[in-house]
Amino acid sequence: MERLPYILVIAAWAYVTVGHLLPEVLGPRLSERTRAVASFAAVVHVLALVIGALTSPYPVGLPEAISSMSLGLGVAYVWLARRQLRAVGMLLAPLSLVLLGTALVVPHRSVAALEETGYSAWLPIHLGLIFSGLAGFAVSSVVGMMFLYVRRNLKEKRFSAISRLPSLEVLDRFQFRAMLFGFVFLTLGIGAGGAWAAASLADPWAFDPKIGFTLLIWAWYGAALQVRLVSGRRGRWTALFSIVGFAGLVFSMVGLNFLLSGWHSYGG
Amino acid sequence: MAASDKLMAVGLSHHTAPVEVRERVSMDETTVRRTLARLRSEGAVDELMVLSTCNRVELYGTVNDEEALRSFFGEFRGPAGERIDPYLYWYREREAVQHLFKVASSLDSLVLGEPQILGQVKEAVRLAEEETSLGKILHPLARRTLSVAKRVRSETDIGKSRVGIGNAGVDLAMQIFGGLQGKKAMLVGVGEMGRQVAQALMTAGLDELLVANRTFERSLEFAEETGATPVPYDRLQDYLARADIVLAATGAQRPIITAEMVRQSLRQRRYHTVFLIDLSVPRNIEPSVDDLEEAYLFNIDDLSQVVEEGRKARMEAAAAAERLVTEETDRFLESLRTVDVNDDLRKVMQTAEAMRKAEIERSTKLTRTLEPKQMKGLDALTKALVKKLLHRQMMAIRTAARNGDLERVQALLEPWEDET
Repeated sequence: MERLPYILVIAAWAYVTVGHLLPEVLGPRLSERTRAVASFAAVVHVLALVIGALTSPYPVGLPEAISSMSLGLGVAYVWLARRQLRAVGMLLAPLSLVLLGTALVVPHRSVAALEETGYSAWLPIHLGLIFSGLAGFAVSSVVGMMFLYVRRNLKEKRFSAISRLPSLEVLDRFQFRAMLFGFVFLTLGIGAGGAWAAASLADPWAFDPKIGFTLLIWAWYGAALQVRLVSGRRGRWTALFSIVGFAGLVFSMVGLNFLLSGWHSYGG
Repeated sequence: MAASDKLMAVGLSHHTAPVEVRERVSMDETTVRRTLARLRSEGAVDELMVLSTCNRVELYGTVNDEEALRSFFGEFRGPAGERIDPYLYWYREREAVQHLFKVASSLDSLVLGEPQILGQVKEAVRLAEEETSLGKILHPLARRTLSVAKRVRSETDIGKSRVGIGNAGVDLAMQIFGGLQGKKAMLVGVGEMGRQVAQALMTAGLDELLVANRTFERSLEFAEETGATPVPYDRLQDYLARADIVLAATGAQRPIITAEMVRQSLRQRRYHTVFLIDLSVPRNIEPSVDDLEEAYLFNIDDLSQVVEEGRKARMEAAAAAERLVTEETDRFLESLRTVDVNDDLRKVMQTAEAMRKAEIERSTKLTRTLEPKQMKGLDALTKALVKKLLHRQMMAIRTAARNGDLERVQALLEPWEDET
């Protein structure tokens, strides 16, 4: 990936993160400034991704995917900054920063399946959908953590800790929306992968540990939505489902590709 | 030199004068308009703005004649026919600016952080504007005042937490629900404290208030006063499921709302969050209700804690707001100063230009012999020369003005003063 624009984006996110941790450093009108800087970062980020995809000698891969997930969080930050959920940005900004840093250092690798299918337009579609879904789940789990924090302080009657944080219901509504967004995109992404495999692999139904694990997580999130919509249990239930689910996704994305062999394992 | 040195604020407020005095000075719109017109036509002031609310009457103006202002206030009398001078405060220049900023930001209000005052200041500005009594000092001052007030509101928490047990209840409801639109509350028992919280919730935008009291007649009475819906006391369980907020404030000696009742109502309302406030001693809601997943129970001590924390937060916010006002006052006075030299510099330019023209007109011997084209050249040359010569002088004045060094500005301007 071309580094220079990303360094700009990283600098912007570092500014936003520091701004949230040490508001005195940035002085007045903090929220307007961080929002402006974050919007700038998002625009540069989009350009960097597009230019990178057009000029890269490799097909898009893990770095681009992680980078677009970081972009997804960035867009979520800008979007939330105008709503009652500004405080959530405090968690999103560092997360976006860390993801982008990861994107810049992970090596570009080809997965086993690609060696059989060759490059295809399915690849960016598959990756784009899956990682948009991941961004949604990431936002949902971050909001979920904040929900649990606010809830605990309310139950323990410690009010000063949460006086600047969003209300329980706003957090709950939002963790649900982000989860629903993630679920829709993950479903589409899995579907796209399946369609691609069916069209181009000799044995599309051969067992792949990553697919198996991801389907499990998909079912987990499905259950979370089910519990919420059918029985009405929300709040802490949704938050816990969301946090556990996202931990599983991180393991699936980072761990499984290296540990197990299958379509998604990294080739030489 | 500085145009702002005529700026003054004169008036009285709840800090200095009792209501018996304030009500005699208080002005309605017509009186405000008349005062604006009168004091200006008398020459007491050049620019003027009048702010009259139930807590204060204040004149902000660029004053030519303090005595005229004194005699204006001399026309008012206290309840015992006494003069009102002892109640008046007089602020000059910097203090006047700072005072207006504080007033508009609600730092001088009876209830710190209350939002109405900004609207009243806006109204005062509007009236003064319509009577064309805002000029080159008060106009920018008024504009800046409104933006300072907005800054204080958005950058400090001054308007956030309010006093009183009722508002503490609203604060908690906001922390849970984010807003009260579409929410229903049920008040059990119509004691004074329950009434306070219920009314604060209604003011904050609650959708509907149900009221249940042991004697139905009293709930009817209460309902008539407040617009609440009375419900029968013996059907508490049924109505519990409809309430997002439950206020208990009866004199009952043992819990009337049990954990089992709340558990059941939660199931009925499909686990939508319920917020309960127990205002009674002994407590009317079983403490174990708080162990239920979606129930948030607060007792009277918890509420007092919110009140106390709100008070502390307001003190901190007030300190932050004061700092902001001081900073903005400095900035405003500095911007006025820069405006000031702009006028002076223009005058210097005009004087120099007049001198140049006079010089050329005097040299008829030379100019008579010149062609129109050469005449133009001469004009351009002399103009450029004057400009070049003045440039450094102007820069020096500007720098001094920016540094707020009025003495130096004055010294630099002295040679250019009119010789009258």
